[in-house]
Amino acid sequence: MPKSVRWFALIVIVLAVFGPMIPQLMWSFATRWFFPNLLPPQWSLESWEYIITPSSRVAEGFMNSLKIAIIVSLLSILVGLPASRALALHNFKGKAVIEWLLMVPIIVPGIVSTMGIHLVFIRLGLTNTFLGVSLVHLIPCIPYMVLVMSSVFANYGTELEDTARTLGANPLQVFWHVTLPGILPGLMVATMFTFLISWGQYVTTLLIGGGTIITLPMVLFPFLQGINFSAAAAISLVFVAPAILVLVLTSRQLGEESSVMGGFGRL
Amino acid sequence: MRWLRLVEKLRVPMMLFPSIAILVVLFGGGLLVGVGQSFGYFPVIGLDDFTFAYYGDILTDRGFFASLWLTFRIALISTFLSSVLAVACALVLRDKFRGSRFMTFVFQIAIPIPHLVAAAGIVLLVGQSGMLSRLMVALGLTQTPGDFPPIVYDRAGIAIILTFLWKEVPFIGIVVLAVLQGIGPQYEEIAQTLGANGWQRFRYVLLPLIMPGLLSTSIIVFAFVFANYEIPFLLGVKYPQTLPVMAFENYKDPDLALRPQAMAVSVVLAVIAIVLLVAYKQLAKYAIKT
Amino acid sequence: MTVVTLNNLTRRFDNVIAVNNLNLEVNDGELVAFLGPSGCGKTTTLRMITGLLLPSDGDVLFDGVSILTVPTEKRGAVMVFQKHLLFPTMSVAQNVGFGLKMQGLPQKEINMRVSEMLELIRLPGFETRRPHELSGGQQQRIALARALIVRPKVLLLDEPLANLDANLRLEMRELIRSLQHELEITSIFVTHDQEEAVMLADRIALMFDGELQQFAEPNAFYERPSTAQVANFFRNANLLKGKRVGNQVETALGTLTIDTDRVVQPDGEVLLTVRPEEINLIPDSAENIIYGEVLTQVYMGTYSQMQLEVDGNQWLVHGPANFDAQVGNKIPLQLPEPRIWLLPLERKLK
Repeated sequence: MPKSVRWFALIVIVLAVFGPMIPQLMWSFATRWFFPNLLPPQWSLESWEYIITPSSRVAEGFMNSLKIAIIVSLLSILVGLPASRALALHNFKGKAVIEWLLMVPIIVPGIVSTMGIHLVFIRLGLTNTFLGVSLVHLIPCIPYMVLVMSSVFANYGTELEDTARTLGANPLQVFWHVTLPGILPGLMVATMFTFLISWGQYVTTLLIGGGTIITLPMVLFPFLQGINFSAAAAISLVFVAPAILVLVLTSRQLGEESSVMGGFGRL
Repeated sequence: MRWLRLVEKLRVPMMLFPSIAILVVLFGGGLLVGVGQSFGYFPVIGLDDFTFAYYGDILTDRGFFASLWLTFRIALISTFLSSVLAVACALVLRDKFRGSRFMTFVFQIAIPIPHLVAAAGIVLLVGQSGMLSRLMVALGLTQTPGDFPPIVYDRAGIAIILTFLWKEVPFIGIVVLAVLQGIGPQYEEIAQTLGANGWQRFRYVLLPLIMPGLLSTSIIVFAFVFANYEIPFLLGVKYPQTLPVMAFENYKDPDLALRPQAMAVSVVLAVIAIVLLVAYKQLAKYAIKT
Repeated sequence: MTVVTLNNLTRRFDNVIAVNNLNLEVNDGELVAFLGPSGCGKTTTLRMITGLLLPSDGDVLFDGVSILTVPTEKRGAVMVFQKHLLFPTMSVAQNVGFGLKMQGLPQKEINMRVSEMLELIRLPGFETRRPHELSGGQQQRIALARALIVRPKVLLLDEPLANLDANLRLEMRELIRSLQHELEITSIFVTHDQEEAVMLADRIALMFDGELQQFAEPNAFYERPSTAQVANFFRNANLLKGKRVGNQVETALGTLTIDTDRVVQPDGEVLLTVRPEEINLIPDSAENIIYGEVLTQVYMGTYSQMQLEVDGNQWLVHGPANFDAQVGNKIPLQLPEPRIWLLPLERKLK
């Protein structure tokens, strides 16, 4: 590829990536920034001061989002890991059907089932509860966990585990000392996906949480409809911070030649 | 011994059971209740007769078809452009050059950012009083916000598409990039010594190799965009609305009688999505073979 | 029908010199082996001939014309790699016909020539198979067919037999040899296996550390190696320091007579060498005898191999299968006058 073409492409990528982020950063520190000023006439911490007040409910939303995302990720690992392993390393009758079944929530629009679940959860008393919200977040998370991890397991194989078994390790020791370290990079990426999917949910939380379970998207949404750009920008940044942190932790696995993202090719 | 055999036999079902159970009960159960309601089974408000009436209502409504067309167009354009741009970006980033690692990280930044935040960023950038508009004024090209083309809250849904592009290009791109790096340069080198020029190497060697990954991710993206509520709700016009917006607005309405109709809209939405995706996959399979 | 000339060909990676000032000419229709240990620059040279890699210095000529500015796809220098052989997304016919399709030939002609080619490599009727359904040997043959079908000016093979098991190797070797002779395509192949090079090539270019050591017919490497290192690579480490004076070499173990018609090394400090299988353990005269101490003896079936110490150097000697050398004994070694070869003395050796 000619150097000039690459340079042009890289500049476009940088502009496209940061283009929508820089105005948000500026708005969060701006006040009375009217058209057509290119820069805010004065910088201020007004919106940051606002969002740390309890009445803004940003802190509450943050903690709830975090709590739910962690619960959902742990549940995804718990139920997703064994399923991924079964799909990757075992052949059994009806495997194709099971594989397909596990991917359905990614393909079939979730809006029907969410509305249906809403009715069921009302009956079961699961609406307006953490458990209910977590369960409904779990639906789109499981497929991603399985998609990534079955590819990772298939790639990792069983030779090392078998070797460890013959050397006298019990199944638990094998998992802890051999399997887990081997699949950890992939597991981190899969967990990043589940965390972020839960972290970004709006409709499902709105329906099942019924306004009682306040997560960050719930707090942010009204500001996006309104005209308070400064507050919206500040909350957005709070909303983005943990997500970026998660990316920093996993970007190496994401960007490198590996089986981790290769799983998406087998859908 | 018999005990051990039983354990052996049950192992795979046990491993699969929890996730299958959760999905079947929650997703399947929800689907069933939703579909039931769309056919008029809604005991809470005293409805329990099976009827096609709600489907009839929406399928005779011109607004529904305007919505369907808008939804389809946004999803199609977003998916197509994201795929093309993602492949282009992956081709740029696959080479090793100084700072390629860092650029790959920059490219990934949008992946974890929630769609809501992306939408806010797009509004602040390309809205009529956004950064670009202000930049135009500073450059003396425009005077008022009205001089800037209405990209946000427009009937064509440009801001909606931009938001999805910003989010989905890195997602598809990173999968394509992983595939490209797994392939290595050798297939292209063979093709080159056999006389294939740059375009031929891409068309006949690289594209078939990245197609499975591209296909899967673009299916995920299409399905996601097609059913997304928040972005078109925030950045779209009041009429026509996309189907998910239409369905959810009806569902949220305090008038519970609107709910079966909301369900019917979302069932149609889901069916269309599935039909389109199956057709797309078959078409792509056929295209790869020839 | 192409003569390939490499003029002062050099390639540096950062500060490492991969190929240094390489000069050689491959004749029309000749099969030449680039031989050497891994990392010696042979594959780098191949890639420069294809144009996949640009030389830092020097020139590549086809029939006397520099082709450095000709892009790879127009050079007609086709490469067969050792792995990633076939395009996994295409059928056998699509793989073999790939080069013709790139030229824009009509599909009908492509199909015809693909069928012909598959006959030639003895895999007729394989058109619709997919690469993953083929054995390693079949894949290799299809890769060869894919290269040959475009009637390349130069055929380049990078370790073509490396991934095959012993039986297949033999079969492939025959096939490459016969196809190459039949089609008379100028060919260069890279290998680290000296046996393979000897059996297959018309001439061998031996390279160490990016430098050409010797470029000659296979037997020359056994009979007339250019340096001790070359001799060593061809499994001859029998060295003895000496000083040549006319038709005699004075060594610590006595004075030996040499054949002045054969030896090219001039008078002065030299290294004397004789191949293991050419040393007489049962002398037929008192001429040219030195003594070595037996360290080990191994029975090899058709012969017996001894390791000896000769003036501080380790020698290998092949004797009759039933030869009984007592370990620790000093035994006579007769070095036949016409078999002695002299090498330049290198600083590294004691």
